[in-house]
Formats: sequence, structure tokens, C-alpha cells
Amino acid sequence: MKITLNEKAIECDGNKTLYDICKDNGIIIPTLCRQENIHPEARCRICLVEMNGKLVTSCSTYPKEGSKIVTDSEKAKNARKRNTELMMANHGKSCLVETKSDELCKLLKEVGLTEFRFDKTKNYKQDLGSSVVRDNNKCINCGRCVDTCAKIQEIYAIDFAGRGYNEHVTPYFEKNLASVSCIKCGQCILNCPVGAISEREHIKEVIAALSDKKKHVIVQIAPSIRASLGEEFGYAPGTIVTGKMVAAFRKCGFEKVFDVDLGADMTVMEEASEFLARLKKGGPFPMITTCCPGWILFMEHFYQDLFNHMSSCKSPHEMLGILTKTYYAKKANLSKKNIIVVSIMPCTAKKFESTRVELDSGVDFVLTTREAAKLIKHFNIDFKNIKDENFDSPLGVSTGAATIFGATGGVMEAALRTAYEIGTKQKLENPDFKVIRGMDGIKKGKVTINGREIKFAAAHGGANVRKLIEECHDYHFIEIMACPGGCVGGGGQPIPTNTEIIKKRAAALYSSDSKDKLRKSHENPVVKQIYKEYLDYPLSKKAEKLLHTKYKKRSQF
Amino acid sequence: MQIIKKTQLKALKVARTLGPLGVIETLNKKRVVGRGGASFPVSDKWKYAIETKSDKKYVICNADEGEPGTFKDKLILIKNPETLIEGIIIAAETIGASEAFIYLRGEYEGLLKNLRTEISSIIKKSKTNVSIKIVMGAGAYICGEETAIIKSIQGFRGQPYFKPPFPPVEGLFGKPTVINNVETLVNIAQALGFSDYDPDLRLFSVSGSVKKPGVYEFKVGTKLTEVVKKAEPAGKPKAVYFGCFGGCMEYKDMELTPENICKEECIHGAGTIIVVGEKTSIIDMAYIISKFYTFESCGKCTPCREGTIQILLLLKKLRAGKGEKKDLELLKELAMHIKETSLCGLGQSSTNHIISAMHNFPDEFEELIKR
Repeated sequence: MKITLNEKAIECDGNKTLYDICKDNGIIIPTLCRQENIHPEARCRICLVEMNGKLVTSCSTYPKEGSKIVTDSEKAKNARKRNTELMMANHGKSCLVETKSDELCKLLKEVGLTEFRFDKTKNYKQDLGSSVVRDNNKCINCGRCVDTCAKIQEIYAIDFAGRGYNEHVTPYFEKNLASVSCIKCGQCILNCPVGAISEREHIKEVIAALSDKKKHVIVQIAPSIRASLGEEFGYAPGTIVTGKMVAAFRKCGFEKVFDVDLGADMTVMEEASEFLARLKKGGPFPMITTCCPGWILFMEHFYQDLFNHMSSCKSPHEMLGILTKTYYAKKANLSKKNIIVVSIMPCTAKKFESTRVELDSGVDFVLTTREAAKLIKHFNIDFKNIKDENFDSPLGVSTGAATIFGATGGVMEAALRTAYEIGTKQKLENPDFKVIRGMDGIKKGKVTINGREIKFAAAHGGANVRKLIEECHDYHFIEIMACPGGCVGGGGQPIPTNTEIIKKRAAALYSSDSKDKLRKSHENPVVKQIYKEYLDYPLSKKAEKLLHTKYKKRSQF
Repeated sequence: MQIIKKTQLKALKVARTLGPLGVIETLNKKRVVGRGGASFPVSDKWKYAIETKSDKKYVICNADEGEPGTFKDKLILIKNPETLIEGIIIAAETIGASEAFIYLRGEYEGLLKNLRTEISSIIKKSKTNVSIKIVMGAGAYICGEETAIIKSIQGFRGQPYFKPPFPPVEGLFGKPTVINNVETLVNIAQALGFSDYDPDLRLFSVSGSVKKPGVYEFKVGTKLTEVVKKAEPAGKPKAVYFGCFGGCMEYKDMELTPENICKEECIHGAGTIIVVGEKTSIIDMAYIISKFYTFESCGKCTPCREGTIQILLLLKKLRAGKGEKKDLELLKELAMHIKETSLCGLGQSSTNHIISAMHNFPDEFEELIKR
């Protein structure tokens, strides 16, 4: 198709939107409500361009043969500026003062807005949830959170209510987030361009604990953090910063820096043993993984028929947390009371998980990747120039199997490596299960253990999860992650997080695994030591008590 | 009045013998256009729906007559529901739909019972396979917009969405859908049923400062003074409003053709005429209408959601005598901005009344900043 773009005749694909055509030709049009993988609703009216003299939204408009597109006319520029100005009326000018990197601030610069002539017209109460906090006073009604919740996650916890200038985002029946069927995945936070939704911060509490001389404060770090924390300090996505991260936390004043990878290895031991036990018993199949607290809430709210299909394993950081407060406390001769365990997680749902009553939690506070970066910045630590350090012993030894827990399919792969070797008592020559890797929504595969064909599958992102659950009875073993991409795309990860960045973070974890000498959880010497000294064997009475949990029925509304 | 003449299933018979393409041809020849406001040729709309292949198609009758000062559809629903239902059946059979909906304005609940009886009797008599359901609106003005109707019938928030895809290609439940106004559907039946059908006749809802407000039928191009005189103005008229969204112009001797009205920065729309007397201030009118739009904006897109309230605040300031020249300029700029950048017809026309008032009654606005 032939069109004119800024007075230049060009050839273009008529099935592409004006935004994409401009992008192909080196013109980036400012946008706000536009979101990857979601059909545009054209709410924000920022990406306006002129088509044949009329203003149209470039995100949703397709060209016609011979269309004249102008992107830099005064009319188009002014229109973008006015709509930004109208948005700013209620967002408030605080965003100009704070040095925040949110998209609205960038937009202000892009459209060159300096005048603010409109007054605030409404006021809202803050919604303080247990994991996710919303401040509608900052909201500009772009609808990205609503679309994410409905179309990517298929949870439908939030939507618009009210009309005219009073339209606002809210959980149903104007309830607060804590009392609706929100799974606390935090994907809405990643997609909010103005910081109106954020995690419930626990930085202050952690700083207070650190300054308390009587407390022995321990930090434990999730597998995916090493591949994403660097982004907060200017590293390219997919840079592994394990050594710097450990050194920085030690400088913050944590007594010990432990690795949740070890917890992941423990999870694999328990989960693989549970799976082998089910194979012997003949079911119930499928067995579904429970590392993801978002998925657990998802299941408790919407799929209560799956209770006996769920593995009873706690998530890795909860396993390590309780081991720290029992096994390590005994070893180091400390009282459980005086130990404070802080988990650094890519996740907002973990905040909720650590408060569950069904679960004897060893974790006191959970910080997201973003909060962890804030904490490091709070102590004025020069992250880029700090020297690499190693995790503390004993709970700091990990395997490649644990590292890949951070990516979708990783838990399945790690569990299969161990289940195969323990089950068959033979060596697994090639530990790579490539079918289960990658960003496809649902991934499936087969493996033979003791002559029996095991069908396994993994899904990530709520919409895919719903699809897989519908056909789950065809499988023996299923891994579910609520966030797209698994933990590397978690709701607590640095902003921006998009498919491209998720892929880079995942690739970093897989390459770290392939370089590891220890690639199977049951080879981890500390795991062996813990079983020998403390837990006896997987699924022993003691292990059941400390490392396993129960689930609770929750309302769909 | 032509509009209340009943076709008594003659039109349906004609339509059945003509076949879909014959019906389209006849409607095209007889110049039947949409009476909801856009005056889009019916034959074009239907042609898209016929050409789109689908296992299911729908017809929606837009009876959500929410425009202030408009009550012509109500008259039809009371006096000639038979012909309307026949029109709906013709539409459905022509495009190949088996289901049709009447989206009835929430406030017209009183008409529901009679309409239901008529539907079942006409369906029985006409021996059609088409089923007609009535869906009640809940009072939102935006639900007169066709894409908002689609969302509302599907059970979602009544908010418009971006076109294309246009409803005749992808509409209700993702299937080809024809949406026509009540008056249009009656016109369709009459164009097919009567050989002496006059396409130039249309309905005018006249109200405001008149002694005999009501629905009148005139030819397109009738003089404004003639229309208003029929309703007997109370006192000397100063201006007329073409509904809230059409804007206002000075009361004068002018033929009511779309071109003439456009010259006055107004839109003819659905044949609404609100007469404003000498004693009424245009600024007060602007304030009241702005209040209406602030309340009725659905809130989906930025310019309409944030803009309408800012217009109201500006008018409040100006009316209180606290305005300056720059406020008037901002008012004009904002009004144009909302018109040019809003998503749907509501937003795009929500400031017509300000733009036309500032164009036709500049003195009244200047007066505000002299104090």
C-alpha cells in the first residue's frame, strides 16, 4: 500500500497500525495506554497523528490507499499536549518534583508540556491491600491494569466504575483489593505507567530490624533476582549480578546472606519424592506444583476441585525460611525469636504468602526486586563498583536446577531431573528438557520413568493457566506460574518488564545453569547434609511438618 | 402524518418477493437514510452486513432515545409499533439474521408491555423465524451510541469502542450487526410498502419556549420559522438548539437543510429543535448543557472525561464574573480540542453547543469578562 508519511511517499503494510508503520520508519509516537499483546482501546488519546487532515489515534487506526499521514504538525503536537495536560489535572504535579522514572514523566518531556491550567476535580481514598496498594489519586484511567487483569491474567479483580470524570478503577462492589479474589500477582503494577498501583512496601520495617542490635537479620534471595536486580542499577537486562548483589546486601547490615536456590533444591527433593510416591500409589494425577503463591491463590479462589492434585510442598523461600529458623538456628545456637528472615522476591504475592495462617511461615518480611534496589540505594551503596562476594554457608550452596526455577518450565525441568534419577536409579545423560523452555503459553512433553510414560506440561500467565487447567487431566505432572514468563516476569520485578526483557532474564538463568557443575538438586551437598543431620529423608515426618502445607477454600467474590 | 401510517405486513410481503438485493436497490432508489443523526444511507449499511459471511447475524433497533428535547421515537413506539416491528423483521430477513433486539430507553418502561404484545402478535402473523427481544437501557445517555449499545447488550459496561471494525462487519458478539434507529426502520417498511412514500418527510421534536411542544412532520428544507410557528412560540424566540449535541443558532428565516445548518456551526441530528426565548441567557444554557455532558460522559477517553468537567469549571468561573480573556480563549481551545480528539460521537459533539454559541452569540461571552 502506498501512503505519504510526513510528505514522503512510502510503501507500507496495510495490515499494520499507523503506530507500527511510523515505528518502522524511525518515528516513535508518544503513547500511554498502548500495551503489547493487547488489542488497543484507544482510551488515552495521546498517540494522535493527522490522517488526511483529521486527528486519529495511531495505535488503533489503519491506513487507506493514498492516506496522508502527518505526525509532527502543530495540530497533532498540540492535541497530544492538551490531552497530557488534561490527565495531569488529577494526577497532580507531584510527579514533576519526584525524580521518578514512570512513563507519564517521560511523556511530559516527549510532548513538551510545561503549562498546567487545570484544577484537580476529585479525591479518592487509598486502597491498602496486603500485597498491592492502589492510589486512585494518581490514576489517569488508561486502563492498562484493567486490561492486564482481564486479558493477560483472566482474573477480573478490577474494572472501571462510575462515569464521566468520576470514572475510576476499583475492585468489584467498591471493595478493597484485600477482600476480593485478586491473586496478588502484581502484573497490574508492572503495567501501570503512573505508579498508581504499587507493592505494599516493607522497607521501613526491614531498616528498623537491621538497626536492632538484638536481632539476627538474615536475607535470602530468590533465583530470578540475580538476573534482574542489575537493571535497577543500569545494567542491561539479562546481566547476572549474583556476586555484587550478595556483597551489597552484606553491606546493608544483614548478618547472613542465604540463597533461596537451596530452598528450591529442597523443594525439588520433596516434590520429586511426592511425585514418585504418587506414581507408586497410582495418583491422583496430575500433580500440580505449588511454588507460585499467585497460582495458589488462583486455585483457592477458582479451582477448589484441584485441592488433592496440588503438591503439598511449601514454596522454596518458605522452606528455606523455616529451615533457617530451625536447622540453622540450632546449628548457630540462636533463639528462633531473635532471627528475622527477609526474603528478596520477584513477587508481590509472596508478601501475602508470608502472612498465611495455613503455613507456619519462617519469613518475616518480603521485599520485591524494586524494594531491594531501594534498600540498597537507601544505604548509599555503590552497586556498580562493589566487589563480588559469595553466599554464606551453610544455606548458600545451589545447583543449576534451582537457578532455573526463576523461568517458566524451570521447576518442572528441575523436578524431572531428580525424579528421573531417583526413580530409575540411573544417570540422566542429558539434563536439558528443552521442550519445557521458552515463552509459549502452554508447553508439553513426555518422559519415560521405569517404563512408564509420564506426560508433563507447564503454563504461565493466568489466561494460559485457565486453558491448561481445562485439559489438565491428560497429564501426570503440571507446573503453573501465574505471571507471564514465570518469576523473571514477576509482579515485583523492575519496571519495565516486557516479553523481550523477560526472554533475556530467562536466557541468563539457563546459561548460568548450563555452566554449573552441579545441575541436579539431589547432588547438592548441603541438601544431603540437611537430610542426614536433621530431616532424615524426603517426606519424613519432620519434613512433612516443616516443609509441607495445607490450602484454604476462598470465595470467588 | 406519514410516519403513523401502518404498512400492515404489505411491506414484508414486498421485501420477500424482492429478495435481499432487490430490497437494497429499492431503499437506495427511495433514498432512505438513517434518522438517528448521521443520515447514513441504509442501503450501504445493509450491503456490508449482507456481504459479510457469518453463521449468525443480528439486528438492533436503537430505541434509546436519550437526546434532550427528542421524543419522536416515543411517538412511533406508541402510535405505530406494528410498522416498526415489521421494519425490524424486514431488516433481519434481508441481511439473514434470526435474532433482533430492541434496545429500549430505560425511561420508556411504560411502553414495554404494549410493545411485547405487538411483537408476539406480528411475529405470529408474519410467520417469520426472526425472534425479537427487548433489552432495557439503564438510563445512560452514552448507550444511544451504537458500539455502546453492543457492549451493553453483551452485558458489559455501556461504553463505546473504537471503530473499525464497523458493526455491519463485526458487531454484537463479534457477528455482523445492523443497528438502525426507530424512525429509520419505520421509514424502511413504508418505503417498501407504499408507492407514494416521501423520503423528504421527517419528524421534528419541537420543545422549549413554545405553547404547543410536540412532534411535527415536515419536509427537509422547510423554513425554521414555519416549524417553530406551528408550535406557537411563547414570546419572541431568540435562538434554537438542535438538541444538546447539535449546537445553537440565532432564530431566523432559514431553510432547514443540512448544508445551511452546517454553515451555522451546528448539526441537524435527529430533528430536535429546542426554542429559546429572549429572556434566556445563552451562557445559562451552555452551563446547563455542560452539566449534562459532564454527568453523561462515559469516562472512557481522556478528552471527554477530563475535558467536560474542566469546561464546566470554566463556565462556572466565567458566570461568577471571575473570568478573564484568557479563560474565554481556553474555553474555545478546549471545546475544539474535545471535539477533535474524543473517541466517540458523544465526546466529539459534546462541545458543539459551546463552539456554535461562541460563533453565533459572541457578545454574550464578551459580556462575561467586562464586569
